[in-house]
Amino acid sequence: MSSSPRPRIVEVRERVLKQNDVLARELRARFRESGLRVVSLVSSPGSGKTMLLEKTLTALKRDCRVAALVGDLATENDALRLERSGAPVKQITTGTICHLDASMVSSSLAEWSLPDLDILFIENVGNLVCPSSYDLGEDLRVVLLSTTEGEDKPLKYPTIFNSADVAVITKIDLAQAVEFDHETAHRNIQQVRPGIRVVELSAKTGVGMDAWLEIARHG
Amino acid sequence: MHELSIAVSIVEIAEEELARHGGERVCAIHLQVGALAGVAKEALDFSFRLACEGTAVEGSELIVEETPGINLEILRMEIHP
Repeated sequence: MSSSPRPRIVEVRERVLKQNDVLARELRARFRESGLRVVSLVSSPGSGKTMLLEKTLTALKRDCRVAALVGDLATENDALRLERSGAPVKQITTGTICHLDASMVSSSLAEWSLPDLDILFIENVGNLVCPSSYDLGEDLRVVLLSTTEGEDKPLKYPTIFNSADVAVITKIDLAQAVEFDHETAHRNIQQVRPGIRVVELSAKTGVGMDAWLEIARHG
Repeated sequence: MHELSIAVSIVEIAEEELARHGGERVCAIHLQVGALAGVAKEALDFSFRLACEGTAVEGSELIVEETPGINLEILRMEIHP
């Protein structure tokens, strides 16, 4: 007579996204070996990632070998826009996936010779939630907040702001029209990520672009 | 929502561990989820049911332990011999 045996408990202690983390670490090592600096951009849809990137590629291309990977659920519109800068650009169409991960970045880079590049920009899928969990092997993660989105975005989406190294407030040319409160925005950003560097700019008018370009180049 | 890809990773790890430790099926998975891990518990529960289907993890319980920080880790599993 045997009763149903009790379940055995086994210790696992394994990070769920370990596979991504391992791949991201390999990517980071490859980037370092190639002397390639990698800057990723995250934000909600419509906060100005593509516009900022287009202006950034155009400005840096004068004395720097730059390239961009751009993620979207569908369409190649962003890649077509960025190609106007003359820099090499590759679109990653994720289908239904709401974020880029390290394996997508790795396979998209297969055709490029990394030592022939100085700075690679990665524009993540427009989403303030999911990209925060996935390390892409980047040196610098930049979160964008546009003046039109409201000052409380950092409080609503603390995880993504917390995972970033730099915060950029975009569309500063519209600040007055939408009654953007600079002080509150800065306070909210610092509240969720104390000490983070913050830059205000308008990619359209060029205000603040120099400070941003310096960060993009040297961190 | 990225909870589905997270659920798929959890099931993959659970199946690997089951193969390593031996046993018939997984009865429970204890998961630590940080408040800043960017994971919604309800969405994860739902995705987990889908990801389990047809695997040795199907029917198991996902027991979530909340913690501060960004950790997202499988702590332990209960295996049916």
